[in-house]
Formats: sequence, C-alpha cells, structure tokens
Amino acid sequence: MLRHILVTSNMAARGHVQDPNDRRLRPIYDYLDNGNNKMAIQQADKLLKKHKDLHCAKADPSRQVLKAIGLQRTGKQDEAFSLAQEVATLEPTDDNSLQALTILYREMHRPELVTKLYEAAVKKVPLSEEYHSHLFMAYARVGEYKKMQQAGMALYKTVPKNPYYFWSVMSLVMQAISAQDDKLAQTMFLPLAERMVEKMVKEGKIEAEAEVQLYFMILERLGKYVEALDMVRGPLGEKLTSELQSRENKCMMMYQRLQLWPECNALSYKLLLKNPDEWQFYLSYFDSLFHLMDKSWSPPNEEEHCVEGPVQTTVAEAVKFVVDRMEEEDKKDSRPLRGPYMACLELIHRLRQRGCPDEEELGDPLELMLQFFGKFGDKPSCITDLKIYLHLLPPEQHTQFKNRLGDLVPLGEVGEDGFGFPGDTKVLQRHLCVCQLSRVLGLQHTLDTEGKLCLITELKAHYHYGLQFGKSCLKTELQFSDTYCLMVAHVYIDLWTETGDENMLWQCLGVLEEGLSYSPSNAQFKLLLLLLFCRLGAFQPVVDLYSSLDAKHVQHDTIGYLLTRYAGSLGQFAAASQSYNFSLRFFHSNQKDTSEYIIQAYKYGAFEKIPEFIAFRTRLNQSLHFAQVRTERMLLDLYTEADITSSLEESVKAMGLCPEEDDIPWDNMRDNRDLTVLFSWDPKDRELTEEHRRLSLEEESVWLKVRSLTLRLLASLALLGHAPSPRNSDKTNENGVSAKSSTLQTLLSQLDLTLQTAAQITEKQTQYPFLGPPSSRLASALSSGSCHCQASALQLSLTLQELETTGLDDSSELQTQICNSFKSLIVQLQELLSRCKGEVLEMKDSRLMTQPSLLETLVFFVETVCVVLWVASYSASVLRPLKSSLQKKKKKTKDSSTAMPVVLSGFQEWTGSLQGIVTQALDHVKGQEASLTALKLAALTLGVGHAQTQEECGFTRAAMDKVQTSYLGSLQELGDLLRKRADSLKSLKF
Amino acid sequence: MTTLRAFTCDDLFKFNNINLDPLTETYGIPFYLQYLAHWPEYFIVAEAPGGELMGYIMGKAEGSVAREEWHGHVTALSVAPEFRRLGLAAKLMEMLEEISERKGGFFVDLFVRVSNQVAVNMYKQLGYSVYRTVIEYYSASNGEPDEDAYDMRKALSRDTERKSIIPIPHPVRPEDIE
Repeated sequence: MLRHILVTSNMAARGHVQDPNDRRLRPIYDYLDNGNNKMAIQQADKLLKKHKDLHCAKADPSRQVLKAIGLQRTGKQDEAFSLAQEVATLEPTDDNSLQALTILYREMHRPELVTKLYEAAVKKVPLSEEYHSHLFMAYARVGEYKKMQQAGMALYKTVPKNPYYFWSVMSLVMQAISAQDDKLAQTMFLPLAERMVEKMVKEGKIEAEAEVQLYFMILERLGKYVEALDMVRGPLGEKLTSELQSRENKCMMMYQRLQLWPECNALSYKLLLKNPDEWQFYLSYFDSLFHLMDKSWSPPNEEEHCVEGPVQTTVAEAVKFVVDRMEEEDKKDSRPLRGPYMACLELIHRLRQRGCPDEEELGDPLELMLQFFGKFGDKPSCITDLKIYLHLLPPEQHTQFKNRLGDLVPLGEVGEDGFGFPGDTKVLQRHLCVCQLSRVLGLQHTLDTEGKLCLITELKAHYHYGLQFGKSCLKTELQFSDTYCLMVAHVYIDLWTETGDENMLWQCLGVLEEGLSYSPSNAQFKLLLLLLFCRLGAFQPVVDLYSSLDAKHVQHDTIGYLLTRYAGSLGQFAAASQSYNFSLRFFHSNQKDTSEYIIQAYKYGAFEKIPEFIAFRTRLNQSLHFAQVRTERMLLDLYTEADITSSLEESVKAMGLCPEEDDIPWDNMRDNRDLTVLFSWDPKDRELTEEHRRLSLEEESVWLKVRSLTLRLLASLALLGHAPSPRNSDKTNENGVSAKSSTLQTLLSQLDLTLQTAAQITEKQTQYPFLGPPSSRLASALSSGSCHCQASALQLSLTLQELETTGLDDSSELQTQICNSFKSLIVQLQELLSRCKGEVLEMKDSRLMTQPSLLETLVFFVETVCVVLWVASYSASVLRPLKSSLQKKKKKTKDSSTAMPVVLSGFQEWTGSLQGIVTQALDHVKGQEASLTALKLAALTLGVGHAQTQEECGFTRAAMDKVQTSYLGSLQELGDLLRKRADSLKSLKF
Repeated sequence: MTTLRAFTCDDLFKFNNINLDPLTETYGIPFYLQYLAHWPEYFIVAEAPGGELMGYIMGKAEGSVAREEWHGHVTALSVAPEFRRLGLAAKLMEMLEEISERKGGFFVDLFVRVSNQVAVNMYKQLGYSVYRTVIEYYSASNGEPDEDAYDMRKALSRDTERKSIIPIPHPVRPEDIE
C-alpha cells in the first residue's frame, strides 16, 4: 500500500521517469509494506552508511525518513520523531522525502506537521502545482478552512483551473458552516462565496456540474431560494444531469421552502403521473393541496395555472386523482404498484385529521385494506404497509377485519390436528400476514394463557408444514415459513413475561434453535437468541451467534451494544475484552478514514458530501457506544490486570489515563444504537417510543458517567501512590500530591452527585419493550450497593492522605475515623457478598430455574473488591513509612512500652477481614461451580404439559446445556480473578 | 410505493435489516465514502413510507472510452427480505442503467456468485447475460472454498452492435480483470 501511494504519485509528478533514487528506495518500501520494519531500518542504515562522509540527512533525506517510518512502527516514536525533524528542518523539496514524511506524520497522528512541510516547500518552489495542491489537502486534513481558501486561490493563480477556484469557494462555505456565529456566516462568508461564483458566471466560465451544485448550496444556505430556483430553471441548471430528476428535486425543495404551493402541487402531480409509485410526491401533493385549500387559492382565469402546469385545489380533484391512479393499476397486466392504493389510505387519514367528510368517497378503510390485502397479501411487505393505517379501523372492527382477511386465505382441508394448511407459498405468505396483523392489532395479547398456548401449537404446525416449500432453499436463503417460528418465539416471550414461567423461555430457546437449524442464515433468529441468552445471563453462546451475523465496521456502532452491554457484566472478561476491541478498532480508524475522503470529495467536486462526511465523523466520535467501550475497556484492563501483572500506577500510566481529563462529549452524545433491529409485530401501545429512546440514552449516559468517574478516580488514586523516595524532601513533589488529592476530592463529589441523579433515574423503573433497548447496569449496580462501597473506599484514600501529612502523633481522631471506615467497608462488602448468595441455576420440581442477577451481582462484588484492595494497597504505602519511622523512634528512645497506634492495628485487622471475605467469596464460587457441575440436566423431563416434539425437546436441552456451560465459564473467570486478587492481599502484610 | 433518494452517510446507521443478509457485504467506511465522494449519483436508497430502508444500489462508472469499455458497474445491490418480490431491485437497476446511459456508457456490468441462482435469474430477466466466469472471485472466510463469479453484462444504446456483451468462452482469473 505504502509503495503504491508513493510510486503512483511520483509517476504522476515526473511522467514515468525512473529516478535512480526510487530504485534504491524500493527494498526499503518493500520491507515497510510487508511489515518487516526492522529490516527496513537496517536497509536504510546500510544505504545511509555509504554516504557517511556527508551529513546523513542532507545526503539522503528520503532514506532517513523511511528509516524513521520503520522506527515509528517498531514503537520507537521519539527516535523516529527526532530523525524526521532533522529532515524537516532542511525544508526538503524532493517528492520522496515530502511524501514519506507525510505518511510518517499521519501515522504519528500529527497531520498539522504536514502543513508546515508544504508551506516551506511552496515557499521554495512557488510555481509547483503539485506542492500547492498538497498544501491545500494538508489544510483540508486538519480542517483549516481559512488557509484552504487562501491556498486554493494561490493554486488558481498559479494554474488557472476551475476546480482550484471552487476549492477556495467551498472553503468559504466550510468557514460558514463551522462558524460559531451564524451572523458571520450569513453576512460574510456565504456572500463572499456567492460573489466569487457570480464572477465566474458573469465571465461565462462555469464549466462543471459540481460548480452549479456548489452555487446551489450557497444560495440555499443564504436562504436565497428565489435565486436558487431561477438558477436551477435557467441555463446553468441544464448542467445538472448526473443525478436522476436532479432539477425537479431541487425545484420541489425550493417550492416547499418558498411555500409556492401551486408549483409544488403541479410538479408533484406531473411526477406522479410519470411514476405513480413515488411516495414522497404523494406526500408533497397532499401537503400542497391542503395548503392551497386553507388559503382558498384559486387559479388565474386564462393562462396556465403556474409554471409547472395545472394545479389541483379541491378534495374532489384529489379523490379523483387517487382513484384514477388505482384504476390504472387495476387495468395493468403487469405487477400492480402499491403506491396508489397506499395513497388512498393516506388521503383518508389526512381527510379524517381535518374532519373532512369527503373521505367516504374513497370508500370504507376496512374494505380498502381488504382490497389491498387481496392484491399484495402475498408480499412480505404487506404487514409493514398496512400497519401504518390500522388506526383507521375502530377497535370494534378488529376481529371482523381479521376474520374477513382469513376468508381471503384458502387453506386446505382441516386435518386431525384441527388445522388447515396453505397449498403454496403465496397462500402461506397471506396466512402469515393475517397472523402478523392480528398480533399488531393486539388480538394475540388479549388471549389468556391457554389461548396463547393453543396459538403456539397452531403456529408451530404451520411452521413445520411450511418447511416443505423450502426444501431446495440454499443455506443463504430464508425458509418461507421462518416468520411463523419467530412469532412462536414472541408468544412464548409474552407468556414468560406475563407468568414468569421459565419453561416458556426454555421452549422459546428450543424453537429458535430449531428454526436456525433449518434456516442457518436467519439473522432475526440469531438476534433473538442472542438477546434471550443475554437476559438469561449466559454469554458464551452469544459469542458464536454474534460472529455468525458477520457484523462489521459501522455495525459495531449500531448493534455492538448487544454484546458489550452483557459480556463484562456477566463475568465473561475475555469475551468482553474481545468485543470492546472490535468496536474500538472501528472507531479509531474513523478519524483517519474520513479525512481521506473529505479530500477525495474536493478532488471529485462532490461538494455537498463534504459537510456530510464531517457530520458523519462527528457522529461517530460522539457515539455513546464509543464512549462506553473505551471507558469499559480501560476499567476491564484495570480490574483484570492492575496489581496482578503490573501495579495500578503502571497500568494507569500505560493507558495514558489522566484523571483531570474528561474526553466524553456529555452534551452532544449521539445514540447510534439500532434499537429496532429486532423485528416486532407488537401493537402500538407496546412499541418502542421516542420517550423510551430518550430514557434509555439518559440512563446509559448516567451509568457511563459513574463508570468514567470511577475510572478517573482510580487513575487519581494510582497517582497518589508515591515512589519510596524520602517524603517531603521535595517541595514541588508535595504540591503535586496535594493537587492530585484535590482532583480526587473533586471527582468524588462529582461521583456523589451522579449517584444521586442515578438514584432518581432508577426510581422511575423504566420498562422498555422486550425487543427494545436492554436496561443499563445502573439499577442493579445501585441496588447491590457496589457503587457506594467503591465511593467510600475512594473517600478513605483521601483521609489516609491527610494522615500522611499529619503523621501518627496528634491524629487520634483521624485514626479513629480511618478505622471506622475500615470496619464500615467490611460491612458493606459483606452485604454485597450476601446478595450474591443463592443458586444461579437449579432444578425445582423438574423445572429448571435461573437467577442470572446473582451472577451480575457477583461481578459487581469482584469489581468492588478490586477497588477496595487498591485502596488497601495505597493505605499500606501510607502506613508503612509511618510505622518504620515509629520503630526507629522506639529504638532511639528504647521505649518499648508505647502501644501500637490504632490505625496500624486497625489496618492489620482490616487486611485480615478482607482476606476472610475474599476467601468466603472464593468458597461461594467453588460451591456454585460444584452444584452446577452436579446438576444433571438430562434428568429433567421435558415437554410435560405442553406438546413439544422429541426434536423440539432436543433443541431445548441443547440450549439448557449452553446456559449451564456458560454459567460455569463465568464462575471460573470470576474465581480466577478473585484468586489473583487474594494473592495481591499477601503483599499488604507488614 | 417507495421513496427513492440519494444514499447518505446517515443511512449507514439504518441499513441493518438489509445488510444482515448473508450475501450482503458490510464494507469498511472508506469503501462507502469513496463511492459517495466519487459517484454520489450512483448510490441510491429506497425508503418505505414507515421510514424503513428497503434496499439500495451502489455503483460507479469506469473504463476507457477509447477502447469502448466505458461502462456502468453495479458494485452492490441488496433488498431487505421483507421488501423482496416488489420489483425494487429491477427499479434500482433501471435507474443505474439510465444514469449510465446519460454518461454515455457502452454497457453495464456486475459480478454475482455463481451459486446465487435467484440473483442470476433476476439479472437474466432484466436483460443481462453471462459475459465470462471469474474463477474464485469471492474469497470465503470460514474455510470453505472460494467461489466463482459470473461477470454479467447488458449493452447500452451506445453499443449499437452489442459488441460489449459477446461472451468470452474461457474463464478468467480475478487478477486478469480490470
């Protein structure tokens, strides 16, 4: 890749002349490209030595830079940087050095240095088109719009090509977009941009479509819609040819902005005659019609109604228009379009909103929907279409509607089981649509338990029957009857949530697993299974399910939450770490990736895409999920490694964590989660609402704040810990420490406030739709007591810091306070541990019962133990020197009678109790593991009560096994971590 | 009944119901941005009245005019399962062909998995024919063998003699195609 970039641009610059330098650089490029950085450095050194009589950098700047790239990539950033700067100060003007330095600076994430490089090059070679354009792009990469404007102009003056001129114009638009002060944008930047374009227009120099697009953008942003309209309709508009209907779309937009309803109406009408399926134009047609009616607009008598042609101003005309469109479709031999029929329902909806009696002229909504079903019932989209207009039916018609629909579905003769089945896939799809509609209408929800179980039996029968139609389906195709299976699962979930009967859940898992065995590509099966396993606290099966979805790149931001919400909270630390990494890798490449394409958009003149790309980059950078994974990733690393493989202080430093720094965009957080990725046919009152979305984001943000403050507090604690160098010897050091403790204090009060907000939020007990966003960990964290325990532990570190300054003498009050904290922490931990007690999985009366919340609480316990132990280790570091100076004093005075200060004995007692709690916890984990292993699921009799076939039982059993194994896995990871923590306790003895 | 409009970056956050299909690749951001920056008119999305994304087409124009190889290329075409059998793919293809006509292309081409019979048949119905087979064009990730592709073409009006679609009898390797 590296060489490709370099070589192609070199060739472009020099016209294929083979530079002897290039030939000798090739082996270095090859090594770098293959990731063999060490060899690249060696090779560069070898070549550099040949010229050692000369100053290295002067003789061979490009090789020097290539060596620097090698160094950078082998982690020797400082060396690489100074080597690069040696070359940069020479202000090189050879392509090889410039481009290699560009790459190096980019890899160092210092794109601003590239601008300096080309500023110098341009000064030395002022007529170089290439360097000017590199300078422009370098500014673009860092978003220096004003300098871009100037560089674009300088470039145009050097080489008068239109694109360069318009780069400069676009940079003015960007200054307008990014201006804090909109007035500045409206009175300075945009008018200037407009004048610059006008100048070219007057001189007849407009060449490309892109230039016209940009002109339109400027006029639009200035609110000069009349001018924009004239431009699009005029000769310049003729250049708008790439995009289909570009001129019409732009005119329509301007008509709407200018509220030119006659034109809007006439144009919509025209476009609909041409394409009666274009939904957006029905909407603009109806909008404009009603606006015109409200204004009692009447057409001028003689001439044309308006430039776009005839205008329609009455309901009668609209009704006729829609009815005509439907009749046209009815007459067609080919596949009818849905547009006109949907438009009819939309018109009824709008007339009803206005209290207009004319809706009757269009017909009864029930009959119209039946007609729609008759025409499109065999399409999977039928439900999505009709769902929008079901509110047109009064509730008392719902059952009638369902029955009338059923009449339109010819099922075969009723068999032994009491069901008749469809004869082909079209009838099957119709039958499915009826089932979906009756669910959306709430008719399934009103059934009692027995009714729901019967429904399940019926849907299952249809599911199994329908499989025969898809025998020849490829693995990558869906089965025709998959939706039955998914709906069975939904009804099972209804039963589970209503009755709490876990058997429903197990059978639900079974039926989905069965579905997946026939239809291995069905993403909805996987997503629902994934969600259910997570709710059950079993994360292990989720890993495979998610990876079989093959979610990549931006999908990590939109559906990655399904993984990251649960992995860590269920104690699957290795899997959690992996899933955070998937997401982080994506986010980190975003910054670099998008800059590259902003530049491309300039090159290709896709000016309207530039603000779009920038907004996209911002949206990713401000992603809630991004902030969550980067916070959780660091917390997880601390929990699993700090004071185990390296000290807390080293870990914090390695992460570059700075307690004062808060990089989370709290006020602009973007929730990019796809919360409707799971299909749902729930009635409107059970659907996900905007309010749910708002509450979920609020809850997640507060939880994130708790986590991010915890992380920063831990960083702050780590930096409180000091080197064993003699205390108070260095004044500045002491100041540093007290600055740190004030940070700790500030963060603690922020945490306190956040926990108060958190308590208010959890009081609301928001319930989201089952298929909507998962609840955050906030409520369980608070109720477990872990947040408060962690906060008091961190608070203790502050008191200890005070003791450190006061010393052991004259501090008895402080010491008592500390000892009380020691004791209180033990009580809190003990309570937290007691909340973990219970059986996470057990068999009761041949039923399998789970308590996944125990697992989550255990994770909170383990996290809290980590925090308390870090504080304990800080305590030891404070007390140790105090103790030894006391001993020295004792030796001097030969006084052996003085009693040990309470804080020292208190600490010893405390570490003993901590040891005790960790041991208890380990025993608990061991006990859970033992009882889980002893649980013989095979002994369960399944299928009692509800007809489950042998095969279905098999799938249910498999799901149960997965849950059991996953619980064991979680317990093992938690046990391992606890054991390691127990080891670190030993070092606290003194 | 559909709203057809230009695909924008924000649609990347909403296309899961289309892209969770096993034969629809989710590319890295650079790939989409490259298309949006270079051929924005060729990237069209269909939206349902309820706001759901139904499907999209992504394409480009490339090839040498002098060698009569200037053409429209379909890079990706996908319709969500619940919006299939509505003729949406055909509509999107029609639009891409129209854009390619305007640009003066000689033909439109596309690659499709040999095993994807549904798609191959659909393209045939839309007037496409197999121009050549490309061996192991699709690399598999899960240990299964790489899969061949058909390079299918349809001549546009500029290619009056329909020279561009005369089939090449021998299969080619991915590195031999431009």
